[in-house]
Amino acid sequence: MNNDRNVKLRLSNSELWGGLIGLALGGFVIWSGLKLRLGTINDPGSGYVLFYTGILMCVFAGAIILSAVTEGGPTLASRWENVRWSKPLLVIACLTAFSFALEPLGFLLSSIPLMLLLLRLIDPVRWTLAIPIAVLVPSGMWWVLKRLLLIQLPSGLFGIG
Amino acid sequence: MDTLVNVAHGFGVALLPINLLYCFIGVFIGTLVGVLPGIGPISAMSLLLPVTLSGTPESGIIMMAGIYYGSMYGGSTTSILVNIPGEAASVVTCIDGHQMAKQGRAGPALGISAFGSFAAGTFALIALMLVAPKLASIAIAFGPAEYFSLMVLGLVVLTFLTQGSMPKALLMACIGVVLGLVGLDSITAQPRLTFGRMELIDGIGLVPVVMGLFGVAEVLLNTEQVIKRDIINTRITHLLPSKDDWKASAGPVGRGTILGFFLGILPGGGAVVASFASYALEKRLSKTPERFGHGAIEGVAGPESANNAAAGGAFIPLMTLGIPPNVVMALLLGAFVIHGLQPGPLLITQNPGLFWGIVASMYIGNVMLLILNLPMIGMWVQLLKLPYNILFPLIILFTIIGVYCSSNNVFDVHVMIAFGIIGYFMRKLGYEPAPLVLAFVLGPMMENNLRKSLILSQGDLWTFVQRPISGVCLTLALVLLIAPLLPSLRKKRELVALDEGA
Repeated sequence: MNNDRNVKLRLSNSELWGGLIGLALGGFVIWSGLKLRLGTINDPGSGYVLFYTGILMCVFAGAIILSAVTEGGPTLASRWENVRWSKPLLVIACLTAFSFALEPLGFLLSSIPLMLLLLRLIDPVRWTLAIPIAVLVPSGMWWVLKRLLLIQLPSGLFGIG
Repeated sequence: MDTLVNVAHGFGVALLPINLLYCFIGVFIGTLVGVLPGIGPISAMSLLLPVTLSGTPESGIIMMAGIYYGSMYGGSTTSILVNIPGEAASVVTCIDGHQMAKQGRAGPALGISAFGSFAAGTFALIALMLVAPKLASIAIAFGPAEYFSLMVLGLVVLTFLTQGSMPKALLMACIGVVLGLVGLDSITAQPRLTFGRMELIDGIGLVPVVMGLFGVAEVLLNTEQVIKRDIINTRITHLLPSKDDWKASAGPVGRGTILGFFLGILPGGGAVVASFASYALEKRLSKTPERFGHGAIEGVAGPESANNAAAGGAFIPLMTLGIPPNVVMALLLGAFVIHGLQPGPLLITQNPGLFWGIVASMYIGNVMLLILNLPMIGMWVQLLKLPYNILFPLIILFTIIGVYCSSNNVFDVHVMIAFGIIGYFMRKLGYEPAPLVLAFVLGPMMENNLRKSLILSQGDLWTFVQRPISGVCLTLALVLLIAPLLPSLRKKRELVALDEGA
């Protein structure tokens, strides 16, 4: 690995960031364990296992950080090198928007645009195929679930679906 | 005699039309996900976990089991014809299987892989029938200390075999335990890490976590690349291997079956390790090891038998101890729990119809798979041409519907999307989700058994060491934890490291 892709004490070292996130999570778990009451070894409380798991998390995160500092690690940018990084980002954006739209708009009004976007954004499917799939698949699923299996999907503020 | 009566009872359950239908759906979907690269049995089982709610426990679990061993069969088709493993356990099959296909011997490669898988699956089931009841009677004597230590061992073995650095895998396992503890404390009923949200009082659901980490994250990862497929276009003929092929394959099938079965039983082990181990064994035993990598039929027969035998063997710890040895079995445990059943030593005596029904259905499923995978091979080859830009949006839609239907709760859809995004970034940074999921399932059981054993022993930690089974498990776990620190063992670990998620 060349020096640009394998860095030690630099903020771009992805291993360092992974370890730091782990350490922060471990610290939070320890704090939560303490807050919940540890109890005694004869009668462990609700926070007992959380507390010790948090300590273990900090130990393992520390080992990751130590390895990142001594042995170095790939940069954050190199993790997304030679891949179409924009594609997953677009899918994530669509899914996030969908998760906010699902309850107010209902299943049909939110899943049809989601399908259309995914079909056009990943590796564009031609419109003449994308539109029928985006409309028919969610509608078909909705019909099967609602009419045949009697499962109520979210209908949203407009009561569609 | 008892076993025969039980097997007959099992066939009575498995041959019910509804169970036959679920078995067929399971093995069909299993073959389908095995054939399609990018979707593994874990994603498919997590997708279909909510479906098990609609039928009886027998039907649901028969279908889930069918997906698992069905995917082992299907995975070989893609490996041989496309040189892309359909699922992780078929990675090794690519090496010689695709070379055979390139030499115009795709038929015998597919044939021996199906027959070898059938023989191994049959052996594993017979062994399961004989071993499971005996092990269950021993397991009744297990106390909380033994259960806790066995689960620790299972988690450590899985982290040991996971790709990437061991501290990362262990960190993932710890996060899994913490996530598993969200919700009401089973002993004091105190809410933990719920952040005041009523939806979290019952804990985080297994379905959204697994669907997010394996289904959505898998799609996100796959969208990064244009998936190219080099499908063998020649007509596939002579699926029945020749006399010479049989002669060359008999030993590897036998050895792969026995090796796979025992590796499948071990906690943390499974089909992937078994197939790699079998390939290494056959290469070492061969008088002409130089043929390996250039289309040696032994390199297909051994690993394919091993991964199927391991798939059967993996049911033993789940059915007899209630401890899932790998993520797939953790999902199966989820299916049991959804139906209010607890696999363990008492399952066989309390629910003989369920246990023996599942075992018998696996045999029927193996026969179905032989029919599905040989005469219908052309159909699976056509399926390999299905465009991914249509498949991926459909998978996302099915995961959303699947999660919603499992709980009728939009919150779970949010959880799944969140775990999908987290899972994607985790994989990009080299953190495997398999230890997290197994620890998520085992976490509450581990905590319960740890606290019980501490209360029973009045806080004496030596109880974990003094009890022989517990002591042995913890010693083994400790050895595996220390092993990566030794350079020679570190290299060996990297060689056998696996990607459970594939």
